[in-house]
Amino acid sequence: MANIEKIAESAVAKAVSLGASYADCRYIEISNESLSYSNGSPQSVNKSTDRGLGIRVLVNGAWGFFGSSVLTEDEAIRASNSAVEIGRASAKINLIPVELAPAEKYIDDYKSKYKKDPFEISLKEKLDYLAGLDGLMSANEQINSRDAHIDFRKINSYFISTAGTKVRQTLIHSGAGIELGVSKSRRERAVRSYPQNGGQYETKGYELLGEIDFAGAIPRLTEESLELLSAPECPSGAMNLLLEGSVVGLVIHEIIGHPLELDRVFGSEANFSGTSFATVEELNKLQYGSSIINVVSDPTDPSGLGSFGYDDEGIKAHRADLIKDGILAGYLSSRETAARISGRSSGAMRADGWGNIPLVRMTNINLAPGDKSFDELVSLAGDGIYMSTVSSWSPSDDRSSFEFGCEMAREIKGGKLGQIYKNPTFSGRSVEFWNSVKAIGDRSSWKVWGTPNCGKGQPGQNARTGQGASPILVSNVKVGA
Amino acid sequence: MIDERIIEIFKKAIKDSPAEQTELVCESEEFYLTRFAENQVHQNMGRSDSTIWCRAIFGKKIGVARSNDPTVDGVKNLIKSASEIARNQKEDPDFRSLIMSPGSAESSGYYPRTFGFPPGERGAAIEYIVKKARSGNISCAGTYQTSGLSLAVVNSLGTEKFARNTEYRFTLTATSAEGKSGWSQAAGRDVGDFDYKKVSDRALEKASFEGEPIKLDSGQYTVILEPDAVANFLLFLAFLGFGGKTLYQHRSFMSGKIGEKIMGDNITITEDPFNAQIEYLPFDYEGTAKKKVGLIEKGIAKAGVYDSYYAALAETESTGHGLPPDNAYGPYPKSMVIDGGESEVAEMIESTPAGIYITRFWYLNFLNPMKTMVTGYTRDGTFLIEDGKITKPVADMRIQQSMLEAFSNVATLSKEQRLIPQYGALMLVPFMKINNFNLTAT
Repeated sequence: MANIEKIAESAVAKAVSLGASYADCRYIEISNESLSYSNGSPQSVNKSTDRGLGIRVLVNGAWGFFGSSVLTEDEAIRASNSAVEIGRASAKINLIPVELAPAEKYIDDYKSKYKKDPFEISLKEKLDYLAGLDGLMSANEQINSRDAHIDFRKINSYFISTAGTKVRQTLIHSGAGIELGVSKSRRERAVRSYPQNGGQYETKGYELLGEIDFAGAIPRLTEESLELLSAPECPSGAMNLLLEGSVVGLVIHEIIGHPLELDRVFGSEANFSGTSFATVEELNKLQYGSSIINVVSDPTDPSGLGSFGYDDEGIKAHRADLIKDGILAGYLSSRETAARISGRSSGAMRADGWGNIPLVRMTNINLAPGDKSFDELVSLAGDGIYMSTVSSWSPSDDRSSFEFGCEMAREIKGGKLGQIYKNPTFSGRSVEFWNSVKAIGDRSSWKVWGTPNCGKGQPGQNARTGQGASPILVSNVKVGA
Repeated sequence: MIDERIIEIFKKAIKDSPAEQTELVCESEEFYLTRFAENQVHQNMGRSDSTIWCRAIFGKKIGVARSNDPTVDGVKNLIKSASEIARNQKEDPDFRSLIMSPGSAESSGYYPRTFGFPPGERGAAIEYIVKKARSGNISCAGTYQTSGLSLAVVNSLGTEKFARNTEYRFTLTATSAEGKSGWSQAAGRDVGDFDYKKVSDRALEKASFEGEPIKLDSGQYTVILEPDAVANFLLFLAFLGFGGKTLYQHRSFMSGKIGEKIMGDNITITEDPFNAQIEYLPFDYEGTAKKKVGLIEKGIAKAGVYDSYYAALAETESTGHGLPPDNAYGPYPKSMVIDGGESEVAEMIESTPAGIYITRFWYLNFLNPMKTMVTGYTRDGTFLIEDGKITKPVADMRIQQSMLEAFSNVATLSKEQRLIPQYGALMLVPFMKINNFNLTAT
């Protein structure tokens, strides 16, 4: 790391000597290991490492960036030269120079909390773990497709900026999930996933695998998938809707997290991810949700997938209000976007590796838990529908409307769960939806659900985010077509 | 490293491999992108990177590892890592062998002026566009990227392949002060062919179209899809059903239907890497030479595309469509062409008494993959057609539509085809007029 620090410092010094008013350099080294098991056999065991550095400069009030995977001082100087040349080209076009909100200076070495480093566990132990999951799923011979996967990531990074910050970070992520399925014919198939579609990911070590109760869930999932095969289609109409926690997590992600990214609000994503209905004129005014809706950005959560010590422009992780008592209270922001509303960065500037420019991304976007047990929520629903495990999602480009599909629904009748329905969907307008939330599940059902594949930006960048959620009861939601 | 030096590095490193068979693949890219929004450049970047994969084989045990260190020592470490994985794997009884692909490959689609295109040139085009936009009170957001890419494959059976190409891509969303938006994009290999004035005018004109967007009721409509929207569907169809893996696993809408009619008579879809506008790399990530493949001919399902693994399972030959060895998708077509028809676009509009003109779709997602049922939205240029004329902007609508049904209800195809980039694919597709298309008010 010492040599890398020297190279990064040379790159920043070179940029300043070429006229940059601000410069930062990030070295990132990512190790990934992903293993999957399918129908009794290992499907894939993939290991990868990726490292490089990216230098970002402000020249004449405009941004330039260059990233390279060649880790020499000569290449770092070439990267600085290119970044400054690119920045000068940007400045020729721009009428308004970039301004940055203030940033504290930090010298730190941050490590995320973990008990077992997954990269020190043998491949054999990992494959045995997957074989164990496969064995649990094969207990019922009617289950004819079984998939299990585990994933691990270690990120070592070094950040230096002309603001004086020098930060080393080590983050460890772990993830695991299963999907079991049953087919009646080639065209009729029912699947159930756990803990959510694509699995659960957290900022934790190998110990995460022991915390997920696959053994307890698999018999229930097996029963549900078999019942789904002959289940009727989910009924349509406006009704009370009870959503399982992981579904709420993705709804938060799509129609609270994304529309509150301040770069998006200003139009930076107009050409790709889209814009936002939650414009800055609405700040501290918009009744985003009912009075029980409180949402924060919290990268300090000990195990959320969107946790870190510092963001990718050196802002220390901290909690920030997004929705308070139902009112829009803040945004996810960077130093540049925060300056445009005379604020401070929320610390949400994050890049996908060394070769991309940081963008405003979600951290952990957490909906505060309520006070209802799951049984109380079912009882409160009276008559309605319960949906579990998202299988499909499609928000509008300004995030003002949406449609989600789920793997399974259950009838709620007289305050009790009833028969299973297949192919459930729900849709609506974002603000109406959050204002129709009548009750929220309590702390015992609350979890930060990890999303390891959030896409944004051009070139496309992947971010790892968390969404804290428990089940919610929403009234008058459009279910079905 | 967009040159052949990597071949020599691979040949040195592979000599010491402990594996019975070893494959090394390197994809290198020098990539530049200028991104603008609010008529200002907000991102401007360059990146130089190489991704290297090693597949090590012991009997029928396979190990795959990936890194971005192209030095001899880096590649040797990668071979060691892949070998360790392979030794710990169970056997894959369906694996046969790596392939020996004789001969070298000819690069096509490499244009030095695209590779060396300076940031100032991208900036000049953007400056023209944003100045024009500012004068019309339009806000522009978009991207202009140029890149050079090389692919090298060496394996212990004697395969040695190297090829490179270049690409430019341009996208533009123009938005009026009232919130009306228009979209256009372009792509190709030779940036000298790119007429940014003509392409950007398409988006600017849509954003400037007079009138407030009207809201339409949910229902079935006759629609005219621009090539961008057609390509949105085509890429989803490819994902669902044109790959050998989905066919072998009976997850494809074409499973059990090869030789049957699944689309309208007027639909012919060909995977054509050699098309003069597409000029895709001539071999795949296994080094197998690419083949032209008829996917749909006059509405009849004909074939899918294969890599060596799924070709062996399906008892056919690889068509040269293998992806990197750690991918989970299986073989995939990236250079599809839909045959054009006989109509001018203007005639397609003039012959429509009532309909909707759609520029592109957004956030398509599957509702029922086997029925090719997708949901999503229209975006950046949806207009009402009345008595053969485009008359009013329409507020974006949700689509809930089977793509196979849509491609069975195509009334007319345009002569004009446009090259549409999406993700790693370049597709050449026409405009389509489609009857009975499901749209829902939001």
